[in-house]
Amino acid sequence: MKVSLNWLNDYVDVSEFYKNTDALDKILTDAGLEVDGVEDMAKNFNHVVVGHIKTLEKHPDADKLTVCSVDVGAESLQQIVCGAKNHKAGDKVVAALPGAVLPGDFKIKKSKIRGVESLGMLCSTSELGLPGDSDGITILEADAEPGKSFAEHARLNDIVFELSVTANRADCLSHIGLARELSCLLDKPLKYPALDVKTSAFKVSDHVKVELKDGVNCPRYSARVVKGVKVGPSPAWLKTRLEQVDINSVNNIVDITNFIMLEYGQPMHSFDLKNINGGILNVKQVSEGETFISLDGAEYKLSAGDLGICDSERVVALAGVVGGQNSGISDDTTDLLLEVAHFTQSTVRKTSRRLGISTDSSYRFSRGTDPNIVTDAMNRACHLIQKLCGGEVSEDIVDLYPNPIVKEPITVNTNYAGERLGYKVEGGDFNNWMKRLGCELVKQDGEVSTFNPPSWRWDLEIKEDLVEEYGRLNGYDKIPESLPALNYEPLTHDPGYIQDRHTYQFFSKQGYYQSVNYNFLGEEYLNNFVGKVAGFKSCGFKVSDESAKLQNPLSEEYNVMRPSLAPSLFKNLMTNYRSGISSSRQFEIGKVFGVEGDGYFETRHLGMIAWGQKNELWQNNKPAPLVLSLKESVENFLRSLKAKSWVWKTWNSELSYLHPGKSATLFFEGKNIGYIGEIHPKLKDDSKIREDVAFAEFNLELLMRSFPKKPKLSEISKYPAVERDFSFVVDKSVASNELKQFITKTQKDLIKSVEVVDIFSGDKLPEGKHSLTYKVLFQDMNTTLTDDVIKKLHSDILNKVSAKFS
Amino acid sequence: MLEEKVKLIYNSAKSAMSAAIDSKSLYDLKVKFIGKSGELSLVMKEMGSLPKEDRPGFGKVVNKYKKELENLYNTCEESLKNKELSEKLAVDTLDLTLPGPHQPVGSVHPIPLVIDEIVDILARLGYSVRTGPLIEKDWYNFEALNIPADHPARDEQDTFYMKPGYVLRTQTSPVQIHTLENESLPLRVLSPGSVFRSDSDISHSPNFHQIEGLLVDKKVSMADLKGTINFFVKEFFDSSIKIRFRPSFFPFTEPSAEVDCSCPICKGKGCRMCKNTGWIEIGGCGLVNPKVLTSAKIDPDQWQGFAFGFGIERMAIIKYGVSDIRLFSDNNSFFLKQFV
Repeated sequence: MKVSLNWLNDYVDVSEFYKNTDALDKILTDAGLEVDGVEDMAKNFNHVVVGHIKTLEKHPDADKLTVCSVDVGAESLQQIVCGAKNHKAGDKVVAALPGAVLPGDFKIKKSKIRGVESLGMLCSTSELGLPGDSDGITILEADAEPGKSFAEHARLNDIVFELSVTANRADCLSHIGLARELSCLLDKPLKYPALDVKTSAFKVSDHVKVELKDGVNCPRYSARVVKGVKVGPSPAWLKTRLEQVDINSVNNIVDITNFIMLEYGQPMHSFDLKNINGGILNVKQVSEGETFISLDGAEYKLSAGDLGICDSERVVALAGVVGGQNSGISDDTTDLLLEVAHFTQSTVRKTSRRLGISTDSSYRFSRGTDPNIVTDAMNRACHLIQKLCGGEVSEDIVDLYPNPIVKEPITVNTNYAGERLGYKVEGGDFNNWMKRLGCELVKQDGEVSTFNPPSWRWDLEIKEDLVEEYGRLNGYDKIPESLPALNYEPLTHDPGYIQDRHTYQFFSKQGYYQSVNYNFLGEEYLNNFVGKVAGFKSCGFKVSDESAKLQNPLSEEYNVMRPSLAPSLFKNLMTNYRSGISSSRQFEIGKVFGVEGDGYFETRHLGMIAWGQKNELWQNNKPAPLVLSLKESVENFLRSLKAKSWVWKTWNSELSYLHPGKSATLFFEGKNIGYIGEIHPKLKDDSKIREDVAFAEFNLELLMRSFPKKPKLSEISKYPAVERDFSFVVDKSVASNELKQFITKTQKDLIKSVEVVDIFSGDKLPEGKHSLTYKVLFQDMNTTLTDDVIKKLHSDILNKVSAKFS
Repeated sequence: MLEEKVKLIYNSAKSAMSAAIDSKSLYDLKVKFIGKSGELSLVMKEMGSLPKEDRPGFGKVVNKYKKELENLYNTCEESLKNKELSEKLAVDTLDLTLPGPHQPVGSVHPIPLVIDEIVDILARLGYSVRTGPLIEKDWYNFEALNIPADHPARDEQDTFYMKPGYVLRTQTSPVQIHTLENESLPLRVLSPGSVFRSDSDISHSPNFHQIEGLLVDKKVSMADLKGTINFFVKEFFDSSIKIRFRPSFFPFTEPSAEVDCSCPICKGKGCRMCKNTGWIEIGGCGLVNPKVLTSAKIDPDQWQGFAFGFGIERMAIIKYGVSDIRLFSDNNSFFLKQFV
């Protein structure tokens, strides 16, 4: 909210801060009112003064120019050449003298215009950076004082603070509200504005019958009639007040209602009395489907439950949100019906949010206004209308307030306040601050005080609220620092956190970069990338037929919660690839989502992607397929989990990003929990990727369900191990792992490890066969293996393998 | 006669060995003269032709020569081997500026990196990690935290809505309620993780990260809270950092405060990071609002608490000088590599 220091100064003396805005900034910030900006409104008007045109002559060399002698308050007259047409001798004008810098960094200098010396410029409103039309230069009022600084003349010597007011402090959304806060903080008196109204001998009911049908959503509704007003432009002072805080001037009546809102924080509305049909004004809930056209011409469909101000036929205003086009003030308005009401936060918030209408009025109502300010605001408005627009004011105010709002008293023990703040609180000091805040002390019993909070502080409800108020006003810097004693056993960390942490620390040391992606992505991209999400079922993932959609996504790019990590990881690949990173490895630990019953499920996954391989100086043969190096990292990870048994099974994936013939699923402790695989050649082609790409993804919760496991250590043999190579020519359908497992089983006790060291086909081998070479390591726990024993083992293995695989 | 023959063999062996040019030919000479079937051994076999009484004397002589030749061999061998080694070393070199076989590096992402750092610091004060769902029930994200349906505070949190009754959590605070429902008191917990707000620009991400701390005990004060945050900030940035509390408003704490720390970049002198104020806002905190305890079915007359929360991206930006919040979600490997 913008706050003018000039305006504020009407209610509380803040004159000391014009030259010391930092001090006010600190006072407000320390009180919880964050200052977002401070603007000196006069900064554009140095060397800009009121001028009086004494003489005016045609320029000798240019028809369109005039040469003016201007009294700028100096001893001699200033000669200024001017191109405008709307000025004449005797006019009061705005003169920018040499040294002035106008908006747009326009520096005014002494110059010669077609041979005639010009010592400045006569300015238009737009040249001054002020609102309003710019047909020629600005002509000021006849009584303007030559030589006076223009900023002072136009009351522009103001400082405007931009405040960020927290949701609980609706009372500070006005100049009087803020002045009241400052009067409390600075201990200075608060001056209220003039409210006197000369009333005439007629009643509101002579013109309109006001009824309150919904006293729940509108606890208080007041109305008054003013007849015979003259609608026209507002005086300069009023325009300036509004413009300084970014409100456009419309006409005197509308400006006054806006002024009241910014003065008291109480929004109000003015109807053109002649447009209130049937002599009835009713505050009630509208019917479903009713249409309403707002002041600015936009059309809305209303819902039952929206609170409307209605005449006998139609809705003339949406309560607290916006007025209707059918009943607003126009130039020919003479009689007014003024509304000042207290609508509840929830009714205004609901309607304004549903219809997407946010006004200064709805903002203030939905944050909570002061129900007790209604009459003052009405009188103040009538006082100003009478002064600025003339008119006769009804002798009464219709004030429908069937159930006056009473705030519950709050009881607080000052010892308790001290305990919570962490320092000793004196009862007298506490009561004093509460009094300055507007709380009324209703009962005092030793350390226990009972207060009635002021009507403008709806947020004060419980004793903790008063503890905060005291702490805040007294200064948070008075709170000391201490560490709470730990005299109980800390909990253990969440196992999921421990597991995640082990996982990312592991892979970050295996050459993988951890990535963190958004949890949502675009459904269209997802479906294009994955094909059918149901395809994840055959690798053991939980997926739902319906996706977990966002109701109000930022864009179609982020409209659904991801069911897999792979689409995000592939996006990472693409952005990296585009920025020239042709090989890298990334992984992500994150949640995947789906719909389940009335709610959702979330599962922690580990996803991996690798693309490209470094051209190796030391590589003589072609490098291992990328997907296998990914598999190697996964297996190392499984080893780090002390996992004993896992199996990769060939998997004909139906997912459109995976190569159907180069994918496998992982069976871990008997359960299918994920996959590895190469990129589908079509995706690779379509994405114009030249490098190999490999994916992996696992259900991390299942993978780590028994983590952490203690290592089970076994004795190691004191006797040397012996290596032997075995080569077999077998059908190509025999997977390397199958043969390996068979070999291992032949001599369970003596074989320590079996590794494939060579694989080839073609050449002299028969069609459909390949040769597999294994390095087998033998070791005995109790004795050195002799050549004879090894020879026997060797032939035993050969026999068994030939018998099984021929 | 025989003795002269021995002498002759000895002399020629001595001169040949001394003249040998490499260890290989030296070894051949050793075999030729003093090997098992070398010349000296052959002469020994002729000993039978000598008179019996001369035989021991002759044997001694032969052994003496053999011993001498063996010593000579050892001496020559050592010097030849040394010579050969230095010749070999002179040409046997490897360019060690060449790269080794490629071993890719990796790194932990700065978000979990910062989370872990914070967890480790506060774990020393007895805090333990608790987590919760990202798709959260309205009750946990709002109602239970004293943000009823039409509370103005809801306007400030641009919420992503899911099915009726569900939202993407806008804060990590719902974990407070889950924890209070499930654990016994007193307790100290931390809840790090993803949160969501529907705005996106240079300084806002729609999916960012927070960490929240909660302590519940019999007596809890603002001083305890200030002391805890002060300890944390000094550990996380450095010991010269100061903190200040500014009054603020959060529906789930009362009193509430924003936490500023003196700018770790310029040490409070004023810079771009702190917008020349010398202070940087790092989070919010306060004493747990009794209404929140009541929501979790805890008697606020028996128990009190404090809570604090920090934005992880913000902490990472301050600590590592990351210039643009989008870098955290772009996952560019060149960016990530810097956290190795």
